[in-house]
Amino acid sequence: MNEGVAQPWRGLLWLSLRECLRVSKLWTQTMLAPVVSSILFIVVFGLSLGSRIREVSGFEYEVFIVPGLIAMAMAQAAYSNNSSSIFQARSDRYIDDVLAAPMHPWQMNLGLAIGGVFRALLIGVALVGLAIPLTGVPVEQPLALVAAILLLVALFGALGVVVGIYAETFDHHTFVNNIVILPLTFVGGVFYSIEILPSPWEEISHANPVFYLVNAVRYGFLGSSDVSVALSFAVTVAITVAVVAWSQYLFSTGRKLKP
Amino acid sequence: MHASPAALAIAGLEKRYDDGTLALHGLDLEVPSGTFFGLLGPNGAGKTTLINAVCNLIRVSGGEIEIFGRPAASLEARRRVGLAEQDPNLDRFLTVREALLYHGGYYGLTRSRSVERAEEMIDVFDLGAKADVRAPKLSGGMRRRLLLARALLHEPGLVILDEPTAGVDVELRRELWRYIRRLHSEGTTILLTTHYLEEAEALCEEIALIAKGRIVARSTPEGLKRQFDARTLEDVYLKAVHEPVDAEVVA
Repeated sequence: MNEGVAQPWRGLLWLSLRECLRVSKLWTQTMLAPVVSSILFIVVFGLSLGSRIREVSGFEYEVFIVPGLIAMAMAQAAYSNNSSSIFQARSDRYIDDVLAAPMHPWQMNLGLAIGGVFRALLIGVALVGLAIPLTGVPVEQPLALVAAILLLVALFGALGVVVGIYAETFDHHTFVNNIVILPLTFVGGVFYSIEILPSPWEEISHANPVFYLVNAVRYGFLGSSDVSVALSFAVTVAITVAVVAWSQYLFSTGRKLKP
Repeated sequence: MHASPAALAIAGLEKRYDDGTLALHGLDLEVPSGTFFGLLGPNGAGKTTLINAVCNLIRVSGGEIEIFGRPAASLEARRRVGLAEQDPNLDRFLTVREALLYHGGYYGLTRSRSVERAEEMIDVFDLGAKADVRAPKLSGGMRRRLLLARALLHEPGLVILDEPTAGVDVELRRELWRYIRRLHSEGTTILLTTHYLEEAEALCEEIALIAKGRIVARSTPEGLKRQFDARTLEDVYLKAVHEPVDAEVVA
């Protein structure tokens, strides 16, 4: 009979490993598909159509779109992974094995979010590795890029956790992806600079939180941004803190996780 | 010398679900350390809600739960409880061996200890032939074996078995009880819920009957028979669980 002290750090480590194992077991779905679709975007929109489009903000079109496409792929990966993993764990009730375990609520939250972070970072590394030889996109501000990427995976990983907890059917998590994340990313300046938009669309674009995230990532790659870098980071940090706090609230109180 | 604290001490436990259903109504219960304890009651009496409250799987509305003298929500208390739920809830992405290994990790075992215990449990529950198969591909009996192996893997002091033999063949049931009896003889406290009254009578040193979210009777099987002037535990069950309901209807 074991009467030893609880070791919640080991619990966190094993829960994180479990989430990463799930990503690697489903690699064709979690890794290959998003990398292939993003590369197709770069090839079709950048290399084919790019020659017919004049420079955007001083960069060739195929270079201009790479940061936004990488951000979009990583955001979707972090979100989709966590929302589907947690929804499945709730639906089949094997999340009980985690909820009953001797771990702090923040460790459960972090452990369950790690899979999305792991998947998004692997996709990001693969896309950067392919996009640099394909388009010659530079990395002008590596520290800013790392900071922006960490904020991106934290924000969308936590959003996936929240939606995975609230979702009552599998459709709910795809609904949020298709109706909220994807449209906001598309109109967030992935494929164009908002400077070219007529009023009031340029002003309306500033109300889109994803616009600031895309610009923070673009600044890391290209060293230029549609808006002040400080503002991009400030808005992104504020939204990330709010969503992470929301997911932590759900774990700390058990709301929606426990009847 | 201090008496060892109760394996489970529950005082004034209340649970009202969001839809307004009152599942537990000021429930008090103490399970002494080292006992084989049965919890019997009809469907909807509150057995699973009580177990879920002990294991931190629901938000309780009031009352206190202590496990070996520690609040049930504390990490130390959770470390000492093993739960085999009524419906197999196995991780669909993990093989049998991985499910055991990762469970050990969640409960703070070192990797080497977790590997060692996983192999022991695979051996005890005869899961070797399916050790590298994922849970969705297991038969019902094998899932039940894995569920029990997982509950026991981290060597809990209090093992909670929620209808562990529902839908299980006679052979596995015998094997299971042989192993659980051995665990009990080594000092592990067992809390069992079952609809098989003969099983409860044969195994349990003490039995509590639960109805409408309250404990309505509690004693040894023989003590319950004397208390209710009944010949069998089934008669006790029918009198204790249903008669108060009939009385309320008449009133």
